[in-house]
Amino acid sequence: MELFLQTLIDGALIGGLIIVVGVGFSLCFGVMHIVDFAVGEWVMLGAYAAYWLVRYLGQDPMVYLPLIFALFFAAGWLVYPLIYRAVSGRRHHPALMGLVFTFGLSTLAKGGALSAWGYHVRSVSTWLSGQSVSLGVTTLPALRLAGFVFGVLTTVLFMIFLYGTRLGVSIRATAQDRETAALLGVDVRRVGALVYATYAGLTGMTGVLIGALFSIHAAMGAKYVIFAFFVVVLAGMGYVPGVIVAGLLLGLIQSFVGVYISGRYTLFALFLLMYLSLLVAPRGILRRGL
Amino acid sequence: MKPVRWWAICWFVGVLALVTVGAAGLVAAQQSAEYKVGVVTSLSGELAFGGNVTKRGYDLWADTLNKAGGILIGGKRYKVRLIYADDQSTPATAAVAGERLITQEKVDFILGPYASGTTLALAPITEKYRVPHITGSAESPLIWKGKFKYTFGTIPTVTIIAQASIQTLAQDVTPKPQTLAILGIDDAFSKFAAEAFRTAAQRFGIKVLRFDIVPEGSDYTPAVSAAKALNPDIFAMGSHEKAAIEMIKAAKELKFNPKAFVQHYGMTTPDFRKGLGKDAEYVFGTSVWTPNLNYQAKILFKTPREYAAAFKARFGSDPDYTEAASTAAGIAFQEALRAINAAPPLTQAQKDALIGALERLDLMTFYGPIRFATSGDYYHDNAGLQPIALQYQGGVTVEVGPGKLRLKAPKYPTPPWDKR
Repeated sequence: MELFLQTLIDGALIGGLIIVVGVGFSLCFGVMHIVDFAVGEWVMLGAYAAYWLVRYLGQDPMVYLPLIFALFFAAGWLVYPLIYRAVSGRRHHPALMGLVFTFGLSTLAKGGALSAWGYHVRSVSTWLSGQSVSLGVTTLPALRLAGFVFGVLTTVLFMIFLYGTRLGVSIRATAQDRETAALLGVDVRRVGALVYATYAGLTGMTGVLIGALFSIHAAMGAKYVIFAFFVVVLAGMGYVPGVIVAGLLLGLIQSFVGVYISGRYTLFALFLLMYLSLLVAPRGILRRGL
Repeated sequence: MKPVRWWAICWFVGVLALVTVGAAGLVAAQQSAEYKVGVVTSLSGELAFGGNVTKRGYDLWADTLNKAGGILIGGKRYKVRLIYADDQSTPATAAVAGERLITQEKVDFILGPYASGTTLALAPITEKYRVPHITGSAESPLIWKGKFKYTFGTIPTVTIIAQASIQTLAQDVTPKPQTLAILGIDDAFSKFAAEAFRTAAQRFGIKVLRFDIVPEGSDYTPAVSAAKALNPDIFAMGSHEKAAIEMIKAAKELKFNPKAFVQHYGMTTPDFRKGLGKDAEYVFGTSVWTPNLNYQAKILFKTPREYAAAFKARFGSDPDYTEAASTAAGIAFQEALRAINAAPPLTQAQKDALIGALERLDLMTFYGPIRFATSGDYYHDNAGLQPIALQYQGGVTVEVGPGKLRLKAPKYPTPPWDKR
């Protein structure tokens, strides 16, 4: 029973961080129809940003979360026009162009990080590292708990913004029908830039937590593309609330398969579920996606 | 129409001929002046850190040798030139990189990759083109079971060396640990490290409570939770350096406090210490070489200490056994070439003769003796080195066994996380 509860908690907490990565990725797809292969590199750059800020300015990496959001928001805002140019205009396969462009962006970021910062495996620790909260017979690692709270809180705030503000309505309108939204006066290009910048900011911030939990190196982002893809397929393409359910599900599958079957079958289980979902419920397990 | 200026044409053709012949002569001179050594290793991707570990070892060999004038063959000295090809941490790319070095760069011989998986992909290529290949890093027994005629290795297989720390814990500490849980990464090296822990536990009467193999890059918390629930005396981890760091982090987060943490390779790297700080303390590991060994050699570096000093002067950090073994791989080639008196560029007959010379090699180096097995399960591996158990104590790795190899007593049991 003790192991079951611990597995449940581990799974839910792992899911928390995946949710944040998935939210931005999902919205990015919903609004711009771009599958951003560079999602893992935003995570990696966020982790490195925290590492260098701590190295040169001291303090706890958590202190820099707002600054990292601002930095990555600005970076996303600057990168967006390039993506927009790649996927718009008279190109025959805009979706494919988007894939190729973001794949290139990812390769560039990975190679750039390796050249600039070298091959050493780095690590940052926060005051939460190694702390834990005992809950009956189980242990809640404080950093993962913080990641979970951060994930859920960010997603909820983001949804309030999406569903409760005029700009949020514009974003959702653009996601639903780009042409009609544009005809009704929505500046779809600006909305796209805003969404991409927010997504880059959120994902960069998540990188800080992921860097503190695991280790930091140029190739660390690769697996987050898979996770983000899994979450978005399961949630329903472009359906943000579904991301919470899918993120938690991913965490729980990882945790339960790892403990009760074997860790080597985790990816198999995830992909099996993803393919089944694509076959049986192509609009996501909640049937609300695009 | 202007008359053809024959003198101008003749002059042009003459100059062209001279340039071509001169360039060809220059190329030939360059080719014959030095050995072209292909190096396939991971310079990018997941294993970039390890790839650069081997690179440092190979570079130090080439630079020191070239500074000393090169390899003396028939009264003349020939330098070595390393030509790198990045395997991007994937086996398929390692095979392509090796093929390119052999067919386009026309290398004389090859120094091999960091990881066992990439080495297993490169070995059939060097076999196909009959090019001698020594890995200064790979430790998987699968390589030697493949019986590749053209592939050699300077580090004994992980199934032999990873047992040393379990042996030390079973024989040199009191009370003797009774139980063990094992977590290994699913790659050609790490899962055999995990297997070695299991074999050692069975050999020394320690009960294995759980044996788990997980993919690289996954979240290790579930597997660590499962091990924690069984309350083992020892938690043993088979992995490369990144997973080694992340597994210890996961254990600390879950307040998992067995009496001993055992790893094999990762804990010997400086990044392990830097990444974990004081959490690296008390972790056990294994090695086949440390600067404190008493080997006396005559080639390039006379003692392990001299090598360690040269390494630190060049790279600013202490060498571990993989770096030393990579340098030793170069020394093995150098001495085998001397033995057969083969000047560059090597013909196919000389490459084949080099295999024979490597098989006959009986060499004492700063790294220890190099004698490649010529039969059995460890075919072409340098299987004769003594494994040493290490433990992090006071910020450095110290030799804690087994038996007479101990320089300091092992610290056991490991204190709780908040008492370190």
